[in-house]
Amino acid sequence: MFDISLFVLMLLGAILALAVYLPMRAGQLSLATPGFYTIGGTVAALLSTTVPELGGSEQIYPLASVFLELMLAIPLVALLAFLIGKPVLKLKGIYLAIATIALVEILRVVLLSSPWFGAAVGIFAIPQPFEGPEGYAAAFAVLLGITAWGCQRLETEPLGREMAAIRNDELAARCMGVHSERVKLIAFVLSAIIAAAAGVLAAHYFNSWSARQASFDASITTLAFVVLGGSRTWLGPVIGGLVLTALPELLRPIGDLRLIVFGLVILLGPIFIPQGLIQQKRS
Amino acid sequence: MIGSISLELNGLNVRFGGLQALDQLSFSLQQGEIFGLIGPNGAGKTTLFNVITGLTAATSGEVRWQGKTTAGLRPDQLCNLGIARTFQNIRVFSDLSCIDNLQIAMGCNDRRAALELLGIVELQEKGTHLAGSLAYGEQRRLELVRALATKPQLLLLDEPAAGMNPVEKQKLQLLLNTIRKQFQLTILIIEHHVPLMMKLCDRLAVLNFGRCIAIGSPQEVQEDPLVIEAYLGRGA
Repeated sequence: MFDISLFVLMLLGAILALAVYLPMRAGQLSLATPGFYTIGGTVAALLSTTVPELGGSEQIYPLASVFLELMLAIPLVALLAFLIGKPVLKLKGIYLAIATIALVEILRVVLLSSPWFGAAVGIFAIPQPFEGPEGYAAAFAVLLGITAWGCQRLETEPLGREMAAIRNDELAARCMGVHSERVKLIAFVLSAIIAAAAGVLAAHYFNSWSARQASFDASITTLAFVVLGGSRTWLGPVIGGLVLTALPELLRPIGDLRLIVFGLVILLGPIFIPQGLIQQKRS
Repeated sequence: MIGSISLELNGLNVRFGGLQALDQLSFSLQQGEIFGLIGPNGAGKTTLFNVITGLTAATSGEVRWQGKTTAGLRPDQLCNLGIARTFQNIRVFSDLSCIDNLQIAMGCNDRRAALELLGIVELQEKGTHLAGSLAYGEQRRLELVRALATKPQLLLLDEPAAGMNPVEKQKLQLLLNTIRKQFQLTILIIEHHVPLMMKLCDRLAVLNFGRCIAIGSPQEVQEDPLVIEAYLGRGA
């Protein structure tokens, strides 16, 4: 039987995978995605539970208010990503990965210890703009569609090619006129925006939101989406996000063994398909 | 415009810890000339390229390009000002197609212009091939034409003939003379193959331990006793 709520999670996984993919396309291993996702969700959770005007007169939370949350969360996160990205993106390779893990960890602890953000309990009773998972599926599908379309367009645009050039050889790219600091920063900010938008929708869907969203575990899981799917084209992370979100659920009948299977996929994927499931087309 | 100064080095010093990589280097390039840099390994030739292209900062002294100092400019800014280079160990974007390699350097989408440029180095058939799949000599030519795609006025070539057979070297010489005229380039070239440099260059400078020990026409340099000493050692 097709489980619509699992489908919603799969779409969410694919969106987050695209957020991890964008910096990686420019050769930057950033694990900050769950951090920006959590900030987006926190903005939505706070606004919808504390500002009564957003609730409207109907039983159902108005979509216009969700849209307003997006319009507030996106510039906020973009600004934050810009300010963080400027110094942090000077780091290369594994050092950038470590720094971004630390950022997510700092955020988690801040949320966990501040009562305004719900502290350890989280924020509850986030109002619902849709009656059932079908509405959410549609909303996430639209967001995934826009994101995937943007990423696909990017691949044939000068900016996308500059990102690929930096991944290939940053020094040569700089000598060929590519302003690498700027390109990397754009990729980082775009990635943060995607994650924040997903967070806004997810906060409503999950009905509650807490610091637990910003876990190291989430960083690794979203990274695994891209590692399995492939980081060369936009389709790789989408497939990786869909498959790896569904896998643990589909394997539920085999009990706790499923976690082992899931781990093996992440472990063996890079060995046997180092470029990911979706490889670059060759000519 | 031939005869006016394009690039000028003024007392250029680069020091890496205890190593004086470039030592009080001062000379200038005339617009339109092919200027050769020779010298033993470790003489500082590639370091000089890295300073000119903004990858390495000078410890003291300065590089002036078209009358202005280049201190503090990033590699991409210098590229946009008309300085392009190739690398000693090939650095094409190997995961990308030849056309994409050129479009990155051009900074825009123009497949036709990219294919035209590929034609100059007889790679027009390989436009959609991944750069990493090309043969060694082809990659060298791709790198050269990628530098041209940035529309440079000054082209820095770091050992373009390395690993080439005699026929390819001959072709390279013809190619460099052609593009120099076609694109009105000033060329600064590092190359160990002395016979090629003698035929190709208008002037040569010889570096040894970061110092310029001789400068002049190929004939003058060839007969310079200091050069003979640097290459062959002191006579008994």
